[in-house]
Amino acid sequence: MRSHIKGWILAGTAVLAFSSGLRAQMEQQAGAAKAPSASAPAPVHDLSGVWNMRATPAQRKFLGSTYTLEAPEMTPWAKAKYEAAKPSNGPRSNALKVTDDPVLRTCLPPGTPRIYLQPFPLQFVQTPKEVIILYEYDHTVRHVFTDGRPHPADITPTYMGHSIGKWDGDTLVVDTAGFNEKTWLDRDGHQHSDQLHVVERFLRVDRDNLQVDITMEDPKALVKPWITQLHFQLKPEWDIMELACTDNAAFEDFEK
Amino acid sequence: MKSKRMAFFALMVGFMTLASVAFAHHGTANYDTSKTVTVKGAVSDFQFINPHVLIAMDGKDESGKLQKWQGELTSPNRLSRAGWTKSSVKPGDTLTISGYPAKSGSPEIWIQKVVLGSGEELSTGGGN
Repeated sequence: MRSHIKGWILAGTAVLAFSSGLRAQMEQQAGAAKAPSASAPAPVHDLSGVWNMRATPAQRKFLGSTYTLEAPEMTPWAKAKYEAAKPSNGPRSNALKVTDDPVLRTCLPPGTPRIYLQPFPLQFVQTPKEVIILYEYDHTVRHVFTDGRPHPADITPTYMGHSIGKWDGDTLVVDTAGFNEKTWLDRDGHQHSDQLHVVERFLRVDRDNLQVDITMEDPKALVKPWITQLHFQLKPEWDIMELACTDNAAFEDFEK
Repeated sequence: MKSKRMAFFALMVGFMTLASVAFAHHGTANYDTSKTVTVKGAVSDFQFINPHVLIAMDGKDESGKLQKWQGELTSPNRLSRAGWTKSSVKPGDTLTISGYPAKSGSPEIWIQKVVLGSGEELSTGGGN
């Protein structure tokens, strides 16, 4: 029997539930406090598998919503947009009724690299042509072309950008460009322009541990490159599951 | 599916009319993480849904007052990886939950610990 409690509890927690990604991230980090253990050597040029982010102790303070403890140095253009933004996570947290976070408001794709701040695992699938990254959050997919092609001459702007990759020794270097301006760099409301250029360096340090060095460059938004390093653990027993952002949007409707 | 959704909407609209104050709540700021409350009682509803799993209980906290409590966990995916299923908790089950209370004093809890009537503790760590 569906009791009236169902409506009561769902309504009463809708705002909390929907806007509590930070909390989920904190849980993720709290549960992932173990230091990486030495494992077997990494297979050569192979990132295949399901991975989950592991925050370092220092990162637990901020990784729920942004990449570094220190804020990036913003241009006046980006600073004005940042100050006008109303994030739902991080130190400037707003209620869902108020937030204009594009992910929370309308389920827009999070963008690159913000997708890593959505606290769910990802999977690499490799083919001779490309490395496919399947992010659990809202079925987000990136195709990293590794067949030697360059970026298109006139890239169509997209949420996740156009990605090409090549191996530099043991590191897969992924270059992403061609962004629209509909996404934020993080959950704190830091901004980017269509000139955003992201380089990710994926290094599988051993079988079970992956290190990703990320550099964000954007001459219109960032005074200097914003650099971070993320860490992931292999989760061989996990599968990528379904997670539809539209479920969250349904909650949001009730708030209006 | 559609009728279920419509019923869901109707319930929500009904609730909003009666208790719109609940919608002032927001995120972690709503909870007082410096305090812990423990509630024991009977489950009235269990929703294994996105974005977060919800438990409703008719329960008593340390004060002994019987109230309708609402508890929030993490996402179904995370709890699945920690061993939960949609049947891990059922209406009528006796449960003891502990977690952070709402700052407002309303009977809401961000659940950190779940102990079944059998004494078995369910992980709330999200599967990490």
